Amino acid sequence: MKGERPPVGNPTSIVCHDLMDLCGISFPEAHLNAEAMAELALAGHEIIGFDTVMPEYSVDQEAAALGCNVDWGNRDRMPDSRHFPHEDFSDVIFPEDFLEKPSMRVLLDALSILRRHVGGKAAIIGKVMGPWTLSYHMAGTQNFLLQIGIEEKEIVHRMIRQLMPATLASARAQFQAGADIVVLADHATGNLVSPRHYEEFLLPIHQELTSAIEGPLILHVCGNCTDRLEMFADAGFDGYHFEWQVDAKTAVEKIGHRMCLVGNINNPEVLYQGTPDDVYKQARYAIEAGVDIIGPECAIPLATPIENLKAIVSAVHEGY
Amino acid sequence: MKELLNTIKEAVINRKRKEIEGLVDDAIEAGIEPGLIINEGLIAAMDVVGAQFSADDIFVPEMLASALTMKLGLAKVKPLLTSEDQPSRGTILMGTVRGDMHDIGKNIVNMMLEGAGFTVVDLGVDLTLEQLLEEIENLKPDILGLSALLTITLPEMERAVQEIGDKGLRKNMKIMVGGAPVSKTFAKEIGADGHGADAAEAVALAKRLMGE
Repeated sequence: MKGERPPVGNPTSIVCHDLMDLCGISFPEAHLNAEAMAELALAGHEIIGFDTVMPEYSVDQEAAALGCNVDWGNRDRMPDSRHFPHEDFSDVIFPEDFLEKPSMRVLLDALSILRRHVGGKAAIIGKVMGPWTLSYHMAGTQNFLLQIGIEEKEIVHRMIRQLMPATLASARAQFQAGADIVVLADHATGNLVSPRHYEEFLLPIHQELTSAIEGPLILHVCGNCTDRLEMFADAGFDGYHFEWQVDAKTAVEKIGHRMCLVGNINNPEVLYQGTPDDVYKQARYAIEAGVDIIGPECAIPLATPIENLKAIVSAVHEGY
Repeated sequence: MKELLNTIKEAVINRKRKEIEGLVDDAIEAGIEPGLIINEGLIAAMDVVGAQFSADDIFVPEMLASALTMKLGLAKVKPLLTSEDQPSRGTILMGTVRGDMHDIGKNIVNMMLEGAGFTVVDLGVDLTLEQLLEEIENLKPDILGLSALLTITLPEMERAVQEIGDKGLRKNMKIMVGGAPVSKTFAKEIGADGHGADAAEAVALAKRLMGE
């Protein structure tokens, strides 16, 4: 069933200053309070016209619950953490009350609020960090990547495996709380690490995760991943959210028959710096290429003009 | 001598962090000039590594490990250099823009620039505009290098370039930008003097901006 048009979707954040101003909710409140979190997500559906709602605006919910000291930022600044609790690659102990930690509770409650408000009307998307991204948070990105560079394979394997329970628990809880779909973001980014690294360290872990999690999963990996698209399909994900650097036609040709493709409007040059007309053209290109769900390639810059986000919706409403 | 220099070069290419200091010591003891150890051993290796990276034969983990190996070697040789042996090619102020914590790319570029003979002052990550303006006024660098990894922090790069220009600080200083989401088009639109797609390009660009 294709319908008359593809959906407009946002597996990653579409919050911008214009949207915050229009609904009266800002950061850091929307990271910390479930009502505010849900309301800001709803605004993307009600004000901009997206067909999905996604209430997680950071990459830090699981990391905070695992002991990272997260600075939740402010209106102009995304959250971040400068302290890596397992820099020495010491064992990560998965806390029994992981789902009750404040950063997890807020997300799960926000998903339940969204279920009550728009369940059945807009698709509710949850978001979970995969074990690779969590390793960056736990050990520090440079430190973690260096272990790969100097071939300390055991250290890398052990860290990823120890973080799998967090990804699994978070994804399952998000489905239970009301998510229709969960995005699994794991930054084995194109141009950063090689397809060989993905295949060796992460593919088996992703296969285990996709088998263990019941419910549709969209993988999000940034960068130009043209060289590893087939592996993402082999990993068992239902969808892939991709960046503009992967040409939409190439993506459809390579894996369109195996996965739902989501994306891939360019953030820096088109959504942030371009005009609504530039956005419209890219959205039409993606639709004509056969991308299944149309949306920005990644979390958008906060200064993105809302008119440009609305231009995605207009382009999609013209239909196939 | 050729053989020793070649062993140093291979150690950097193959990321032998534990061996590099001993090898450099051997070369110093054998009386090889420090300049030669740097240029024909350490830097020659990074030229190879840079080319492998551009060709997608290796990725950031390997590049990072090689650059850190080079840095260990460089730290052994540098104290032996007199300023006549290796005059600084220029001073470069480097930093990641506000809101962005990512610094691996910048760190690799720093190491490559230092290896190439530039004086690098690293301001770190998440730089506020005020910090940046203050450091430019204090240090009066020849080049400012700005990095961003997240598409969400690109507006900060644009704002920084704009403000620095408005304050009249670009008369004697060039600005180069880089980072995964930064394209040549973006660099041009925000008015930077140049863009390096990777660390090797950044070094070539810095030399060009210095009029070499």
